[in-house]
Amino acid sequence: MSGLKVEVHQEAPIPLAAEFYCAPGEVLALVGPSGSGKTTILRTIAGLYRPRKGRVSVDHEVWLDTDAGIMVPPHRRAAGIVFQSYALFPHMTAIGNVGAALEHLPASHRKKRAAEILQMVNLRGLEDRRPADLSGGQQQRVAVARALARQPKALLLDEPFSAVDSATRERLYQELASMRRRLSMPVVLVTHDLTEALMLADNLCLLHHGRSLQYGRPLDVLERPASVEAARLVGQRNIFSATVVEQRPEFGFTILDWEGHRLETAAAPVFRSGDSVAWLVPPSKVLLHRRDRPSRGTSENPVSGVIAQHILLGDTAVSVLHVDGRDDRRITFQVPAHVAERNRLGVGEKASVSLLASAIHLMKPEPEEQRTLNDRNC
Amino acid sequence: MDWIALWLSLRLGAFTVLFLLPVGIIAGRFLAYTNFPGKGFAEALVALPLVLPPTVFGYYLLVLFGTASPIGSAWQALSGKPLVFSFEGLLLASLVFNLPFAILPMQRGFESIPRELRDAGASCGMPPWRIFRRVELPLAWPGILTASVLSFAHTLGEFGVVLMVGGNIPGETKTIAVAIYDRVQAFDTASAGRMSAILLLISAVTITLTFALSRQMGRRSG
Amino acid sequence: MYQFIPALLHILIRAGRVMPAVFAVTVSAHPAQAGPGNAPLVAAAANVQFALEEIADAFHAETGIRIRLSPGSSGNLSRQIRQGAPYQLFLSADERYVKELAREGLTEGDGVIYSLGRIVIIVPHGSPLKADGTLEDLRAALTGGRLKKFAIANPEHAPYGQRAEQALRHAGLWHGIRPHLVFGENVAQAAQFATSSNAEGGIIAYSLARLPAVSRLGAFALIPAGWHRPLHQRMVLVKGAGPDARRFYEFLQQSPALAVFRKYGFEAPGKPD
Repeated sequence: MSGLKVEVHQEAPIPLAAEFYCAPGEVLALVGPSGSGKTTILRTIAGLYRPRKGRVSVDHEVWLDTDAGIMVPPHRRAAGIVFQSYALFPHMTAIGNVGAALEHLPASHRKKRAAEILQMVNLRGLEDRRPADLSGGQQQRVAVARALARQPKALLLDEPFSAVDSATRERLYQELASMRRRLSMPVVLVTHDLTEALMLADNLCLLHHGRSLQYGRPLDVLERPASVEAARLVGQRNIFSATVVEQRPEFGFTILDWEGHRLETAAAPVFRSGDSVAWLVPPSKVLLHRRDRPSRGTSENPVSGVIAQHILLGDTAVSVLHVDGRDDRRITFQVPAHVAERNRLGVGEKASVSLLASAIHLMKPEPEEQRTLNDRNC
Repeated sequence: MDWIALWLSLRLGAFTVLFLLPVGIIAGRFLAYTNFPGKGFAEALVALPLVLPPTVFGYYLLVLFGTASPIGSAWQALSGKPLVFSFEGLLLASLVFNLPFAILPMQRGFESIPRELRDAGASCGMPPWRIFRRVELPLAWPGILTASVLSFAHTLGEFGVVLMVGGNIPGETKTIAVAIYDRVQAFDTASAGRMSAILLLISAVTITLTFALSRQMGRRSG
Repeated sequence: MYQFIPALLHILIRAGRVMPAVFAVTVSAHPAQAGPGNAPLVAAAANVQFALEEIADAFHAETGIRIRLSPGSSGNLSRQIRQGAPYQLFLSADERYVKELAREGLTEGDGVIYSLGRIVIIVPHGSPLKADGTLEDLRAALTGGRLKKFAIANPEHAPYGQRAEQALRHAGLWHGIRPHLVFGENVAQAAQFATSSNAEGGIIAYSLARLPAVSRLGAFALIPAGWHRPLHQRMVLVKGAGPDARRFYEFLQQSPALAVFRKYGFEAPGKPD
């Protein structure tokens, strides 16, 4: 199959264990905290790193196959890469930088083509500027232009938006989103920002300590992480342990016992009655029992407690509820600020919430040692 | 004014730079980009001439290529005259004791180039030698320049080693530094003063010109 | 504008591969080769270089042959000859070095004595010391604390330094003056130190003290010749010397040259004080 196929395995010096596929025209995000190996994997695709064991192929062209002893050097791989710091050649102009990737063309064509590409990234008029005389966003565009100049078979972006201010970043997101429709190559985007991945990527590969924890659609990874480890990585706050009490696959639900509360969740037939599980519910799927506007939803997995934390973040109020007044049972939820005000939410106030059954996601429980360390989800 | 001695010194400096330029670039780049067991030891070895007293250095050079040594006797067999007390012997000594002045600044120059720039070159399709020519050399240029100037200036001023390895042979090993010393000993302070002033002028002009040039290039690369 | 420089370096680097060849070229392209065909090299003890310069000028005027002079301390020069330095004629301040080289077969026989060396005590103007050849004033200065620094040539390899030490020992001053001694690399440097304001005086060669450049810097007095071993200054042709060097060697033994020697304070050998 065409597209980019990557397999990487290594014990040392950097542990790596990942496999993924990116189709032409798709964006795959490699997401993970610093040191999770995502940049190393990107460099492996580009040919700048050679793992102990691995295989990289694009459109049936094998770039790396350690078993077969194939290692195509980076300058012979048609991979365009945008580095985190852009890595523009400081001693060349913008058009010179792009031209550096076009040295296979005769000099006369080179300048013309470089100018065309710069126009494509909206940098007309800035061709003769040195990188030092360009803004961060403009530099990034030159970097993208240079990466695309060789008409690569894969485009690799290493945290390309991290060095830019948020306003510029927003604009660049839109440009990338619109540009990738025109690009017919697999695009791999390395980022530690899950939101960015959610916005831009078709698929997401979650990495931790070099290991791929999950591969799938970004929203799936976020709301239905494969493990507690993955859940923590994607920033899920409300992670708890419970026991399966009843399985009713024919009715489409599973019943949990959580600290005495009986919770109904969407069917998760893989677990058996009596199994210990870990479960989570995204803050956005925790509904406040509103005093100002009561609804029928109050009967779905209701729990109540005392608000221990209440923070206003712009238009949203984020609260932490100590269920049953216990500080080892914390549920984070959020409501619009005006709702919080109207319901008189604040530290010390009593509140009740409903945990939406369809959003409760079950996972294998954490290993015991891990649990004692992480039990207080934070 | 001993023009022959001055010309000798200038030639010694120029040849030293000429031969040390490729050596420095290759060794400096290698040390900048490669890690290998014993690298610290290799770097210390390169820096050794910096801390060794010139006389100790001169002594070991004599041992290394004096007439009794394998190198010295081989040279004598080939050319008919000894390696010591000759311009070639002086040049050889100069190459050795200028190694740190040549290699270290160049190493720093290459080290200052971010790894990502070389990676970017590769991903632009540049084979390693083209990366070297188009990315590394232009950016390491200040280091290379500094190395050349330092080696040249240092050679002009070197005295102890020159005297030990070269003797004081007019037209062959009597450099201007030695000539100045000579004139002082002969109570000819006027001549010594003149030559010293000229040497000072040459050194000052060389260094000023080179750093001005280096600043220009620095402005170019932003 | 500076684009050519990296290209130039590129060329230089390629050129570096022909380094050994270029090296060889510098050998043959060198103008001043120390071979019999070029101006012969004469190793001369520091104190005799000034007399020799004048004699060499006269030699050039008469024969058109140029002589290159390398002054130094006799000990160092003989060591260099042993190491193969390209000197063709050696004028030593002490015959001992000539005899050693002759024993090693590096010279053409023992050569000839060209002069008798004498030492003097010299004190710069304004020094608390007096130019007293009996060294009594020196003794008084030592005990009286008037002496800080006293310069002689290095006795390790300079004949005049050795004679200075012998004279000081003879006067019973050596141990007392040792801590105050400053050693010159050769007797010319000792003269430098002795006549500078950095020392109260010193013991140097008579021939040096007589130079106008030196004598106007202070006062000097001869030290009795019997207080040290005689300083027979010997010169010898080094093995393999060329015809020009030989002619100069002969020239040095004829009366015009001898007159110059005398002028510079070099007594004819055998003549007492």
